[in-house]
Amino acid sequence: MNGILKLVINQLRRGITKQETLVTLPCRAAGGAVAPPADCSVTVEEAVSLWTQHFLQHGVSEPLSSSHYIIAHVLGKKTLESVERRRLRETLTDKERECVWKLCSKRLTRMPVQYVIEEWDFRDLTLKMRPPVFIPRPETEELVSLVLEHLQSEQVMKARGKAAVHCLEIGCGSGAISLSLLHSVPQLKGIALDQSQEAVCLTKENASRLGLQDRLEVRKLDIMKDAALIVRDYGPVDVLVSNPPYLFTEDMASLEAEILKFEDHSALDGGLDGMSVISQILALAPQLLTNEGRLYLEVDPRHPPLLQWLVEEQTEGLHYLGTSCDLTTRPRFCVLQRSG
Amino acid sequence: MAVAKLGPVCQLLCWTVLKQIKYSRPFRKSASSFISGGFANHNCTITNPIFCQFLRHQRNFHSTTPVMVTKILTVDEIFSMKSLHDYLKRVETEYANCLEAVNAADIHTDDEELRTKRTRMSFLGPLIQKIKDLEIKRREFEETEELLKENDPDLRELVQREHENCHAAIQEMKQIILSLLIPEEQSDMSDLVLEVTAGVGGQEAMLFTAEIFDMYQNFAAFHGWNFDILEFMPSDIGGVRHATASISGPLSYKKMKFEAGVHRVQRVPKTEKQGRTHTSTMTVAILPQPSEISFTINSKDLRIETKRASGAGGQHVNTTDSAVRIVHLPTGMVSECQQERSQIKNKEKAMKVLRAKIYNAKLEEETSKRYQTRKLQIGTKGRSEKIRTYNFSQDRVTDHRIGKTLHDVHCFLSGEALLDQMSVSLQQFSEQEDLIDILENK
Repeated sequence: MNGILKLVINQLRRGITKQETLVTLPCRAAGGAVAPPADCSVTVEEAVSLWTQHFLQHGVSEPLSSSHYIIAHVLGKKTLESVERRRLRETLTDKERECVWKLCSKRLTRMPVQYVIEEWDFRDLTLKMRPPVFIPRPETEELVSLVLEHLQSEQVMKARGKAAVHCLEIGCGSGAISLSLLHSVPQLKGIALDQSQEAVCLTKENASRLGLQDRLEVRKLDIMKDAALIVRDYGPVDVLVSNPPYLFTEDMASLEAEILKFEDHSALDGGLDGMSVISQILALAPQLLTNEGRLYLEVDPRHPPLLQWLVEEQTEGLHYLGTSCDLTTRPRFCVLQRSG
Repeated sequence: MAVAKLGPVCQLLCWTVLKQIKYSRPFRKSASSFISGGFANHNCTITNPIFCQFLRHQRNFHSTTPVMVTKILTVDEIFSMKSLHDYLKRVETEYANCLEAVNAADIHTDDEELRTKRTRMSFLGPLIQKIKDLEIKRREFEETEELLKENDPDLRELVQREHENCHAAIQEMKQIILSLLIPEEQSDMSDLVLEVTAGVGGQEAMLFTAEIFDMYQNFAAFHGWNFDILEFMPSDIGGVRHATASISGPLSYKKMKFEAGVHRVQRVPKTEKQGRTHTSTMTVAILPQPSEISFTINSKDLRIETKRASGAGGQHVNTTDSAVRIVHLPTGMVSECQQERSQIKNKEKAMKVLRAKIYNAKLEEETSKRYQTRKLQIGTKGRSEKIRTYNFSQDRVTDHRIGKTLHDVHCFLSGEALLDQMSVSLQQFSEQEDLIDILENK
C-alpha cells in the first residue's frame, strides 16, 4: 500500500509541471465545479494524477481511490487495475474527458464516490446508488453472511421442505440485504420496508435490474408509526433482518462531510442511545416471527450488552442467541430467536 | 480416464513431430504421406537415438551457459528399451497371478488380500488389454510385411496401405500403453494460483513481469480457462511489481506447473538511452489451489486487517477502501487483496491466495524428497532456478531445462501456440522422467 502511495506521489510531483502546460487547473466555476479543459489532450494516467492532486489540495478524503474509481467508471470498468495497461497511456476522448471532469467536480463537493458513479458493489451484486439513500457498509455484507449461513443450514431447509421461506427487512435502503439474500436462496420470498420514498424506489429499481422483483415486495412503511399495520400484513416470517439507524445522536455532528451532507440522517440517527429503532424492532419481533424464527441485527459495538439485558429482562417471547463480531473483531451483530 | 486426458497431448505431439518433419529437408516430400499414414514415418526422423544418456550440449552462439540436455524420446525408442519389456512382462505375470488367485477362490470369500487383488486387476485391466491388442496388431503387421514381397502390383498397393494402417495403429497403441503407465499426480486435477514477482532489473524487470503476466492471461484465454486477478501491484511506468491470479479450467495445473521458476529477459529496455542490452529477471510461482475439503485453515490462526480497523466503523464511516490483508499467524504468511469494490469479495480472494500459499508450502515439504533428482523441478527449488531466457536481439526463447529454443519472442509472449508448444515439450519430458523412474525403480 505504502509503495503505491509513494509512487503516486512521485507521479504527482512530475504531474505538477505537466499540469501547468496541459490543463489550467484549478479553474473554478460556480459551485465548486471545474471547467473541463476545452482543447487539450489528457491521457488516462495524467487525468488520474491531476485529479488525485486536486482532491488532495481540497481536502477531499481518499483522493487516490476517488480518482481511480471515477475514472475507471468512465472507462466502463470497476477498477483502474482492470483497465488495460496500454489504455492508461492513451488519451481520453472528448466525451470521456468531459465526463471525468463532470463527475470529479461532483466529488469535489464531498459527494461520496458511490453517489458520483451512481453504483457500488455489495457482495456479488452491483447496486444502483442515489442520494440520499444510505450507502451499504462492508459490515453489512457480513450480516448477510450470518443470515445466509442460517437460511442454508440443513435445519431450516428440512423444516420448510419445498415451501417458501419468508424474510422481512426493516429499513431496506438500497435493498442490499434483501436482494443479496434472495440472490443466494432461490426459495426465499422477501418483504422490504422503509419509511423513505427514495429508498423504496431505489430498492424496487435494484430488484428489477437484478430480476428479483417477483420475489420481493417493497412497501413504504414506518416501523415507528405503522407497527400495527406491519404486524397485521406481514407476520409471521422465518427471518427478520435489519441494519437500523444505530448512531448516537451526539455522534452525528462528528461524521465526515460525505455522510453528513449527502446521506439520509434518518437512516443513521438512532436517538440519544442509538436504540430508538432497535427497541421498536425488539418489541415487535415476537409478533413478527414464526416460532423459532430469528432476528438478525447490525448494531453499534456498545449495544450488544444493552440489547441482551433488554431482551432478558424486559422482552417476552424473545431469546438472545448471541453476538457476532465483524472483521475488525468489534461486537457488531446480534442474533435473537422467538421462543415459546 | 488417463487416455481421454492425454488425447489432446498426443495430438499435439503428432503436430509437433509433423512440424519437425516439414522443416527437415529430406522429409519434406514425405510430409503428405506422413499425414495420411499417421505415425508411419515417425522413427525415420530420429537420426541418433541415444537413450537415457546425458549429452553435453554444444556451446551455441546464443546460449550463455552450456546446458545439460536429455532428449525427448520417441515412442519407438522407449519401446526398444529392455526395461520397458521387462516391466510389461512383470505386469502381465502379476495380472495372470491375480486372475488365478481370484478364480481359484470361492466367490463368497471376501478377505482383504483378495479384494486388493481384484482392485489391482481392474487397475491393470486396460493396460493388459492394450498389450494383447498390440501383440495381435504386430502379428498382422508382420504378415503384411511378408505379403509386400509379392510381385503383383495391384496387390502390392493394397498391402502397402494395409501395412501403413497397421503401423499407425501400433504407434497409437504404444502411445496409449505409455500413457497408462504414467501415474497421475493428485494435484494435476486442481486449479491453481499464479504468482508473478519482478526480480533484478528495476523498472525493466517490472515491465517484463507485466508482459509475462499478460502472456499467461492470454494463455488462459487460449485454452478457455478462467483467469481471475487476485492481487495487482503496478509500477509507475506500466509495469508490475507483484501480481497473483487464480486460474481454473481443464488441465490448467498440468499445463502451467512447469512455468514456475526464474524467467530472464535480455533486450534493450525502453528506458535505456544508450542502446545497451540489459538482463533482468522475474519469478513465476504456480501454486495448486486446494479444494475446500482437502485443506482447511483454522480461523483462529488468522488476523484480518482492513482500513476500517481504526475509528468506529459501521454506519459511522463511508469509505471506498475495501482492501483486505490476512496474516496466517503460525506461518507468518500474508496475502492482500484490493481488486474488488466489495470488502467481503476481497476477503474471499485474499483467503484463496493464502490457502494456496500455505497448502503449497506443505506440499513442497512432502514432495521435495521425491523430486530431488529431477531436472524439472516444481516448487521452491524450481523457483530459484533460472528456467528460461527471452532474448529479443536474437528473437528466441530458450528453456534451459530441456535445451529447447523457439524463435519469435513476440509470438511466444502472445501466449498462444508457441508457449503451448513449449509446455507440451516440458510435459513430455516430465512424463518421460516419470516413466523411467517407474521402469528402473521396480
